Amino acid sequence: MGPLIDLLPLSYTDSVVALGALVLGIAAGVLGTFAVLARRSLVGDALAHSALPGVALAFLITGAKDPASLLVGAGIAGLIGAVAIVGIERTSRIRPDAAIGVVLSVFFSLGVVLLTYIAAQGNAQQAGLERYLFGQAAGLLERDVNVMAALAGVAVLAVVVGLRPLRTATFDREFAATAGLPLRQVELATSALLVVAIMIGLRAVGAILMVAMLIIPAVVARQFTDRLAPMLVLAGAVGAAVGVTGAQLAASAQVPTGPVIVLTGTAAVLVAVLLAPRRGVLWRAGARRAERRRQEAAALLIDLETMLHAGPPPTESELCLACARPVRPMRRALAGLDRSGLIERDGERLRLSAQGAAAAHAAIEARAMWSAWLEHGASLGITDAREPDPRDLRGSLGDEAFGRLQRLAAGGRV
Amino acid sequence: MIIVLTAGLVATACALLGPFLIVRRVALMGDAVSHAVLPGIVVAFLIFQTRAPLVTVIGAAVFAIICVLLIEALRSTGLVAGDAAIGLVFPALFALGVLGIQRYADDLHLDLDSTIYGEIAFAPFWTVEVGGLLLSRSVLTMAIVVVANLALVTLLWKELKVTSFDPDFARTVRIPPRWVARILLVAVAITAVTAFESVGAILVVTLLIVPAATAYLLTDRLWVMVAVSVAIGWVSAIAGHRAAVALDASIAGAMGLAAGAIFLVALLGSPQHGLIARAVRARRRRSALAAAFSSPTS
Repeated sequence: MGPLIDLLPLSYTDSVVALGALVLGIAAGVLGTFAVLARRSLVGDALAHSALPGVALAFLITGAKDPASLLVGAGIAGLIGAVAIVGIERTSRIRPDAAIGVVLSVFFSLGVVLLTYIAAQGNAQQAGLERYLFGQAAGLLERDVNVMAALAGVAVLAVVVGLRPLRTATFDREFAATAGLPLRQVELATSALLVVAIMIGLRAVGAILMVAMLIIPAVVARQFTDRLAPMLVLAGAVGAAVGVTGAQLAASAQVPTGPVIVLTGTAAVLVAVLLAPRRGVLWRAGARRAERRRQEAAALLIDLETMLHAGPPPTESELCLACARPVRPMRRALAGLDRSGLIERDGERLRLSAQGAAAAHAAIEARAMWSAWLEHGASLGITDAREPDPRDLRGSLGDEAFGRLQRLAAGGRV
Repeated sequence: MIIVLTAGLVATACALLGPFLIVRRVALMGDAVSHAVLPGIVVAFLIFQTRAPLVTVIGAAVFAIICVLLIEALRSTGLVAGDAAIGLVFPALFALGVLGIQRYADDLHLDLDSTIYGEIAFAPFWTVEVGGLLLSRSVLTMAIVVVANLALVTLLWKELKVTSFDPDFARTVRIPPRWVARILLVAVAITAVTAFESVGAILVVTLLIVPAATAYLLTDRLWVMVAVSVAIGWVSAIAGHRAAVALDASIAGAMGLAAGAIFLVALLGSPQHGLIARAVRARRRRSALAAAFSSPTS
């Protein structure tokens, strides 16, 4: 990591922390994706809490607060917790969330009991042992970052090599089982990888905030893609970006790194959930509004065409009165039609332009065909059940079925 | 005595709600609340400059409710699964709390241990006088919470049940699933916060999940599940207290371990879903099959 640290335009400490956050973000993003997709996002929570008895036991055995042995203790306890979760899930009707909860609470209770036992021993070194779970990114050393990078590299490599079985086990357990995939081993392997990610994060952001680091990149990436491989890459990138940005913000504001990284990530999730193309809340609201406007405009065109057919060109208020719709959306729709040149104004009176007349006829035709579908759709004898798109009936039914529907609508026999 | 009574009341309050969390697959709501209350404590402290329990509990309760409602809102967008929503909301609130402590309250020792992670061993020492009677404060508050939860569960029994198992059907009979979910989660938040103050967070989280999960192994009927959870809660409280006294260990931790031990027993020995019962059934099936194939019947 030495050359990389020199490359960054930051002070030495800041670059070490930034690199640590980068490594953590990539590892958490890639490994967390599987947990989130399998609806076991909170496995990280349980494993993080199971670290406590591990830390306590490691301290009891070594009698010293040596970071390396505490980390190993946390890792082993996390692995046991992971095995316990998979075991409870596979052998009983308990579902993932409850299995995670049971392991979390029992392991943490054990940790608390062990801590009181240690306190009763009166070893002066024991103070602040539980602080270990909270993490101190500012205290990261270059050596720590090297270890983190090595662990993360191994974990990401394992995902790349094992992508196929991992994908099958995540999305289609039945198929995976019939195809002879050792499901239990794959599940244990994913849990072990998660334990590695948590061990990476324990030093940098602390156990509790690590829970979010596993989930944030995956949730953000999920909003932009439906495919696993791009999602993994994207999640790694999001994790890295969130980690580095958060570390930078924290360094410039002189506040703890972990919380700032998590809050940066939360902001990223909010943006993605609100704005992601096609899925985002605001995006969907915008699409719904555009569709409503389109329908209003079509209805207005049809009404105007009907009135023109029946009598002299109406004024705007006559049109509003005749079609008995709320005035405001009507005026909005009229203004829209005006802009796109579908209506012409003859003083107060309204007419359709040639283009407008064509649009009105198309709208009338579409409406008639939709009624025909509702009336005769069942007798078309389409074998596969489907829900056609009202905006594109021909496209959804296919030309042949649409032709028969047209003949039915015209009153002929099929 | 007071300690066992407090823990038993906490167990009852939790066991009345826990089964619904288990069947709705949001078992970890209690854990989420336990972390999400931190900013509430900081804000209450900053506004009122006191660590009086009432103010702290109110601040914590406000953020607990914010937490559960945010989780429910995020989940209902349909973009984020329920478990991921939990794991997104509570670390964010916790992070806010950590930042708040570092920024404003670092020198005031406003840490988790002294505020919200109450210690059950101190329960007998906090007393209030009601009508001339000297009562333990935590027993009193937990008794009130138990009565409130009991009232909620009995009054909304039908609604809670139908929305837990079949939200679509609930909608057709005009029971709004989202409102029922919100009411349940707010009850969980308030129960958790008041109980944290009496017995500490980890015991509350444990009592919300483990007895209910154990009961889920033992029965298929919801009301039996609730009753069994309450019973398991009391047994864990009594056994945990005995063990803690004998071993001179943390009372809350020992109670949690007792609940875990009962879970393990149920996992192995449940008559319907236990590992042993299943193994016996599988063996019987195998021998029946073997007998059917070996006997030369038509």
